[in-house]
Amino acid sequence: MKNIIELLKRHFVFVLFLFLFIFSLIVLFSSNRYQKTAFINQSNDWVGQLYDWRDQLQRYLRLREINEQLALENATLRAQMSENIFTIDTTIFSENDTLHLQRFSYRTAKIINATVNRESNYLTIDRGSIGGIHNNMGVIANGSVVGVVSSVSDHFAVVLPILNPKFQESVKMKGSGDFGLIAWPPGSDPAYADVKDIPKHVQVNIGDTVLTTGYGSHFPSDLFIGFVSELNDRPEETFHRIKIQLATDFRKLSHVQVVSDILKQQQDSLLNQQQIRDDANHLP
Amino acid sequence: MTLTIFHNFIRISFLILLQALIVSRMQVLDGFILPWVYIFGILMIPFETPKWAVLLIAFVTGYIMDLFSGPMGMHMTACVVLGWLQPVVQKLLSPREGYEIVQRPTIQKMGLQWYLTYAGILTFIHHFVLFFAETLRLNPFFYHIGHILFSSIATLLLMTIGQYLIFAQKGND
Repeated sequence: MKNIIELLKRHFVFVLFLFLFIFSLIVLFSSNRYQKTAFINQSNDWVGQLYDWRDQLQRYLRLREINEQLALENATLRAQMSENIFTIDTTIFSENDTLHLQRFSYRTAKIINATVNRESNYLTIDRGSIGGIHNNMGVIANGSVVGVVSSVSDHFAVVLPILNPKFQESVKMKGSGDFGLIAWPPGSDPAYADVKDIPKHVQVNIGDTVLTTGYGSHFPSDLFIGFVSELNDRPEETFHRIKIQLATDFRKLSHVQVVSDILKQQQDSLLNQQQIRDDANHLP
Repeated sequence: MTLTIFHNFIRISFLILLQALIVSRMQVLDGFILPWVYIFGILMIPFETPKWAVLLIAFVTGYIMDLFSGPMGMHMTACVVLGWLQPVVQKLLSPREGYEIVQRPTIQKMGLQWYLTYAGILTFIHHFVLFFAETLRLNPFFYHIGHILFSSIATLLLMTIGQYLIFAQKGND
């Protein structure tokens, strides 16, 4: 203690100077905002730099944990991406008109799987029973026939396209109205199909339009099937051998509409009743 | 002795007033040159005054100057440094035999060259501390250095002129 006092006494002036100097500095910095902020800004700079280093170190040490979090977040977000979400489409396009009773309603769908080059081909669409699709509904695209719904699950449906030997639909020649059947030979060119049962007395030319008849209630009448491309008639047969080019390009199919006949039930039950009566009366 | 103190007191007070009321109002070159002639009083404190006394006087002078101008604490800091260094510089520049007691550091007594060195160093240091405390920065470097330099020169000039005016006669005042 004595030594300190000795020290102080020897350097009294300097100590006094220091004291007064520091006092002045304190006055300067405390009473003046500019000096204060300049000082604080500067010290903030230094302290900020220290915090920054510490922060970097911390972040490095937490890298594994952060990685795992990010991977989890990635997976969650990816699952939410629109490509990965299946939206259930339940829109129906139909008209509500009391005078003109709407017969057909249309539901849009997208082709998500298609084959065209096999012996028998099928298409899959992304709309199923939840979207209002049922068996035996017709499927069209751009006003031309694609096929008929053959099986349905909750979210998907399988369509039997023209390009399938099982497909059967009655068609008619536009000009004369004579009707026949469309058939697709297994494994043949997906752009062409045959029309059978048109008698030879009907005038058929290359380029004639072939339309739906509307019988069978899969499709409305007068939808495009295709255009006559070849006539390969044989002299001994009574029917034409008509080859048509299909109006639908099955290789480029993406969006389709599923047609449903609102009055089909009524039509079917009427036909049913008639058949039942025939049976009862033992008529063929 | 008392007379000397009295004289110094008057001188310092006069200079402070002169500075505050007249000199500080003079805007030379948009404030680039800013003389602080009140330090003349501190510089004129006689040789061999106790160091602590010089320090305290300088401190009080600075404080009073602060009251007149700008942010508190600027002049206090600068004057405290000045008051501490004044005896130091005096000792550095002392002639071989030391100074005569109770002598004022005037041109008449010590010669122009000595005076210019003595006053020049202390003025520059004082202005440096002053302007640094004001802005707490030295960039742009040359502007600030120029500011300090030219203000010091101005102060020095005024003080030298003052010397000749006040201490016209040779011999003790």
